[in-house]
Amino acid sequence: MSVRLQSPLSCYAIVLPSLVLLTTFVYLPVVWAFASSLYEFEIGADSHFVGLAHYGEYLGQDPTAFPSLANMLVLTLIAAIMRMSFPLIIARLIYALPTERWRYIYRIVFLVPIVVPGVAVQLIWADMIYSDFGLLNELLRGVGLSHWTRGWLADPQTALASIALIGFPFVGGFEVLIYYAGFSSIPESVNEASALDGCTGLQKFFRIDIPMVLSQLKLILILTLIGGIQGFENIFILTRGGPGFETTVPGLWMYFNAFSFQRMGYACAIGVLLFAIIFGLTLLNMKYFKSSEDLQGVR
Amino acid sequence: MGGKKTWLIHAVLVFFSLLTLLPFVFTVNNVFRTNAEFYHAFFSVPNAFKQTLSIAGGALTGDDTPIEMADEEGLIRSLDKKQALRLSLTNATRGPRLAWKVIRPYMLNTLVVVSLTVIGVILLGSATAYILARYRFAGHRALFLFIISTMMFPGVLTLVPSFLLVKSLGLLNTYWAMVLPYIAAGQVFAIFVFKSYFDGLPEDLFESARIDGAGHLDIYWQIVLPLSKPILSVVAIMNILGTWNNFLWPFITNTEGKHHVVSSGLFVLSTTAHASNFSTLYAAYAISSIPLLVLFIYATKPFIRGVTSGAFKA
Repeated sequence: MSVRLQSPLSCYAIVLPSLVLLTTFVYLPVVWAFASSLYEFEIGADSHFVGLAHYGEYLGQDPTAFPSLANMLVLTLIAAIMRMSFPLIIARLIYALPTERWRYIYRIVFLVPIVVPGVAVQLIWADMIYSDFGLLNELLRGVGLSHWTRGWLADPQTALASIALIGFPFVGGFEVLIYYAGFSSIPESVNEASALDGCTGLQKFFRIDIPMVLSQLKLILILTLIGGIQGFENIFILTRGGPGFETTVPGLWMYFNAFSFQRMGYACAIGVLLFAIIFGLTLLNMKYFKSSEDLQGVR
Repeated sequence: MGGKKTWLIHAVLVFFSLLTLLPFVFTVNNVFRTNAEFYHAFFSVPNAFKQTLSIAGGALTGDDTPIEMADEEGLIRSLDKKQALRLSLTNATRGPRLAWKVIRPYMLNTLVVVSLTVIGVILLGSATAYILARYRFAGHRALFLFIISTMMFPGVLTLVPSFLLVKSLGLLNTYWAMVLPYIAAGQVFAIFVFKSYFDGLPEDLFESARIDGAGHLDIYWQIVLPLSKPILSVVAIMNILGTWNNFLWPFITNTEGKHHVVSSGLFVLSTTAHASNFSTLYAAYAISSIPLLVLFIYATKPFIRGVTSGAFKA
């Protein structure tokens, strides 16, 4: 259904702006990242080749490396569990409502918080929920547990958990919409057949509904894993990795090395290592998981 | 489907809706409260509201005893009903007015960055997708691979070198430091979505235009763009959401702080002296949500489609 051109000059001309931008602002930084991870340099100072020394330093000597990888793992796994449970149940409940009108209303209600800038959400939790006179401490005082009150993000014992639990009850509008689309695309014949066989309630949920939205669950899983490995903005806003290094993750450490310690080459090496993990996950995803093109219902 | 069961589902959904929206309800409440109110009574309704209501109520019942109130300078003055009402309204809206003063330049910067980005992404994305969808030529497949491969490079890999790049291009502290990389990265998703849309359009449309002697640009302006209106709003909203929420990049590239957008501006605000006045802070959070809320109300359906189309990114 398309035209074969012999002299495609005009086509090249039209795609040229796209290509120039991609080459300059995507491919060049990618090459630059790999190259400069092999150099020790500061802005304005001389640089010299150090080979793979930065990788060795990060994996062998950097005291933050493994604790921060562990933090990353914990935060990512908690996020994955939350985003694959609560929104799934909510989407299933919305799908069970008899009228389309109410289904639409609830989908919108859960989607509305998306209009609040992500930075504002983090700051609201830090200032209003977790602060000394915030919601959590006030609730504890209210029920006579004032000895439990604390600065939740400042206490080494609770900082990481507090970050992980931001967004409670985790019913993100995006996830609800994705799962809802999955449930909606279950053929009516499947529902009827299961009803005839007396498969209802929880049994139907686990035996039929969940297998039918498996591709959506995998999609959210892979998005959460990739987001969790490279994400550090929220931690930068909330705790800057503290107290101590309790909430530091590798991405944040990369940021500090580049923009606070002026160790650009070292920062690039950390970035390349994180890319390697993400790339590995992407390959696994392509090999063992269905591609997202199978997500017909999402459209 | 029994009615009882439906009510139970409604109860659970309402409970979770409230829990989800609760932080935002408290945020709006705190917009109108002083620090003292925040510290001493987390759950209370704003005093300024209670006061305004009681003064207004008094005025309605014809009670005209003067009211003693602290003015802007903290002096206690005896005021008549009209003055008192005005003063208590002034007190109630102090936070939002101050916050607006601080974030107005951030809002304008965001408007510039978001508009330039979304226009660039739509124009480049649709033009390139049109060529890829409707023509076959030498290097066609390589071109598509070149574009689509960029999706596998995560932001964490390119963050530091991208900063070094815009720095050496002399773009730090300009709108272009944000707009150009945003268009470069944002167009990929747009090309992907546009291409799959254009693939489905009937060839007759283009065929007859070509027979009439229309060039690429004529076809693009007169056929492709008008036809892609439904998908255009989806791509646009998805792009606006992304640009709007990007905090780190504007924060890094605005070393002089003059081109902050709302996201980075809010963070900066939270680290300045303004942050010690909670009312201002919460007002800033609330005001910064209004533009997207308006967009959401105005275009709910494309918004929902836009958000779910993010699934293609994986």
